[in-house]
Amino acid sequence: MKGFTHFISGIAVASFFPQAVHMASQEQSFILCLGGIFGIMPDTLDFKFARYFHTSEFEVKPDPKNLDAHQIASVVAQSIEKANKEGRSTVQLHTMQLGSNLWQSYTLGFDSKTSEVVVEIGPLVDTGQTPFLGTEPKEKATARVKVSCSFFQEFDKKSNIAIMSGPCFEFIKRGENQVEIVFLPWHRTWSHSATLGLVTALLVGIISYLTVAEGPNPELYSIPRWMLYPLIIFFGSMVHIIEDSTGFMGNNLFYPFTADRTKGLGFMSAAEAIPNFLFVWTSVVAILFNLDRFRWAPESFPPGIPSTESFLFWFWVLPVAVMLYFFLRGKNEKEQRRQGEGRPAGRPGAVDFDGPGEAERESDPSII
Amino acid sequence: MLDLLLHPQNLDLVYFCTLGTGFSLLVSFLPALHIYNVLGIFLVMVLGFENVMTGMQLVALSTGMIVGYSILNTVPATYFGPGDESLSYYILPSAQWVSLGRGYESVILTGMGSVGGLIALALAAPLFLWIMPGLKSITAPHIFWILGAVIAYMLLSEWPKGISQSPSTWANFWEGWKFLLIGLATFFLTGLLGFIVMAKTMVPLEFAFQSITPVFVGLFAIPWLITNIINIGTIPHQHECKDVDLDWELFFRGVFGGFLGGFFAAYVPIVTAGVGGLMAGHATAQRDSRLFVMSYGTCKTVYYVGSFLLFFIPGLSLTRGGLAWIVTPMIATLTLKDYAIFVGLMLYATGLSFLLLGPFTRACIRLVETVDYHVVSVVALIGTILLIYGYTGWGGMAIMAVATGLGLLPVMFQARRMNLMGVLLLPVAVNMAGYGNYVIRFLGLV
Repeated sequence: MKGFTHFISGIAVASFFPQAVHMASQEQSFILCLGGIFGIMPDTLDFKFARYFHTSEFEVKPDPKNLDAHQIASVVAQSIEKANKEGRSTVQLHTMQLGSNLWQSYTLGFDSKTSEVVVEIGPLVDTGQTPFLGTEPKEKATARVKVSCSFFQEFDKKSNIAIMSGPCFEFIKRGENQVEIVFLPWHRTWSHSATLGLVTALLVGIISYLTVAEGPNPELYSIPRWMLYPLIIFFGSMVHIIEDSTGFMGNNLFYPFTADRTKGLGFMSAAEAIPNFLFVWTSVVAILFNLDRFRWAPESFPPGIPSTESFLFWFWVLPVAVMLYFFLRGKNEKEQRRQGEGRPAGRPGAVDFDGPGEAERESDPSII
Repeated sequence: MLDLLLHPQNLDLVYFCTLGTGFSLLVSFLPALHIYNVLGIFLVMVLGFENVMTGMQLVALSTGMIVGYSILNTVPATYFGPGDESLSYYILPSAQWVSLGRGYESVILTGMGSVGGLIALALAAPLFLWIMPGLKSITAPHIFWILGAVIAYMLLSEWPKGISQSPSTWANFWEGWKFLLIGLATFFLTGLLGFIVMAKTMVPLEFAFQSITPVFVGLFAIPWLITNIINIGTIPHQHECKDVDLDWELFFRGVFGGFLGGFFAAYVPIVTAGVGGLMAGHATAQRDSRLFVMSYGTCKTVYYVGSFLLFFIPGLSLTRGGLAWIVTPMIATLTLKDYAIFVGLMLYATGLSFLLLGPFTRACIRLVETVDYHVVSVVALIGTILLIYGYTGWGGMAIMAVATGLGLLPVMFQARRMNLMGVLLLPVAVNMAGYGNYVIRFLGLV
């Protein structure tokens, strides 16, 4: 899911605590923002910290003056072979910057039908990824390197490597002569675990227990004020993990007790517009609903939402129904296209080498 | 509505609205200037006319100006430089289109987004009567933390840049983080400037209401003009397309996303179209560059005009945006009829402005293709500085100089320009939360 989706979902979760809403409206507290901050925190930890501290055994650093697709594919294939022998291996692919606003693009795909690593050198692109057509190299531009084992990955998509930093892949041996391909192995691991949420909440809980005094009218609330902070932090980070679990990549829920990411539910892709907006809209409706029902002195101030049923029908049920209609329609159309191409229903087929737009996979945090 | 608008009694409003649209054409042509600044100066000059100009006539004039400006400002922003943050958000992808000779197409796409946004605003106008009182009552005690959330998201959603190809982990870490640190420094330094300008203005008293003008010119306009003078060689030949590559689905998606961002920016004080557009773009997962350019057109138009429209909702007293504050002293009461007239005038000015968009763009293209672009930028820079000196004196010039230094930070280090909005976001959020006095005392400003 997009960072904004996680952020606003975190605020929505915080707004379910009446005491937090009262603190915001009566004491000018920014406590509701805490939910948003910890909602986006797992991705912040990954893309601002974890990525820099992950090291790879293999690195692909193509020479723009001597472009050779075969060379790139060979290094990736070596990494797969090593994983098949030793259990695990990682490879980092680098981009090629030619000028302040000029990059050489290439793509990497894994053809599971033929057990081949496929590399295609693409055109020059600018930082906005606009291609300069006709700049594709004429020689050594495509290569297919066969590996001795079979491989599979959760979502078969070609990676476009063009701007900023390139992606990293981990190969993990799964059974006899079979390797799993894991995209961005440093992403959604420890930072996206319930364990980290729990530990952070415990630490914050200890600090807030020692430092936060009870607020006014404690008899109105079922939990003490100090407990609000760890609870908002824990639920804010958990809503991020739950949202990410609806996609393909999944999370490592119980790191360090579990070694790898569990598979996502695969309902939607993280970059899809409608699912992202569905979560954002639901969060906005929840925030408004909670701010209104937990308003201070409800007997003195009339509600902003006179009828709950009417509000929920017009502002949530109806828009969600419309979004679901368009989402399912889009999904059906994609499924029909796949069936037309002879692929099995329900899961993506092998790499789509002719549709880079659709098949593109990103390592850009703003998209993931 | 047409009967109401064409009633002889109201025809003077159509005349003033037309005049306002024409005036916006002139204002838009002045590079790097914002309508609120110009309208402020205009009111200083014409305030003497208030005896011969009724409140609704001023409203009609202002409606024509704001609608015309929100649609037409895309053209000089694309070719000469942005006047505020709302425009600078759009200008980077737009500059890319210009460099590919597709500036005209970019302007028309943005214009289509603007028209879509204003039609959506007109369609939503009756709904606002039903929704807005409730929304205002729910959110009124919470605006300060909503601003806090906007700031938190702005800062947290800037991701590291860099290619991370050094064998040293720490070198890669520093390469990525230096962009983030510049972004954070920009935000907090501009916030500090905001506190200073708001607490102690150096602008002459009669122009005190314009005290923020030199700040905005320094933060956004001058750095852009300097960049133009240093960087840009020649503008490639601009292709005047006969049609644009756009389908209805993309159009509706762009207008929808832009409308959300524009409405959020119009409703929440201090939040601009750039910030609103960023959040709506992320909320609706926009990726297509056509979608971005068009959606931006919707966003900025709904922001400029929507904030003015909110002012006319009877019984709501929602004053958002500089224009609403400017006309407030001349409007005593607002009725449903005034609201309907405003919506009618808005649609009239929309049509008129869109008709002017094509010829205006062609005129600008001819100018940049015939006159040396450096000369245009140098003239614009000198003109802007003279204007600031003329209206705000040496005090304003000093503020502008400091703001220019800060405005150049994101340009030089490729950080987000949006961080410059710290100049308003930080002091206003802190003041609304009730901590403003502590900060001002701490800074020794009182």
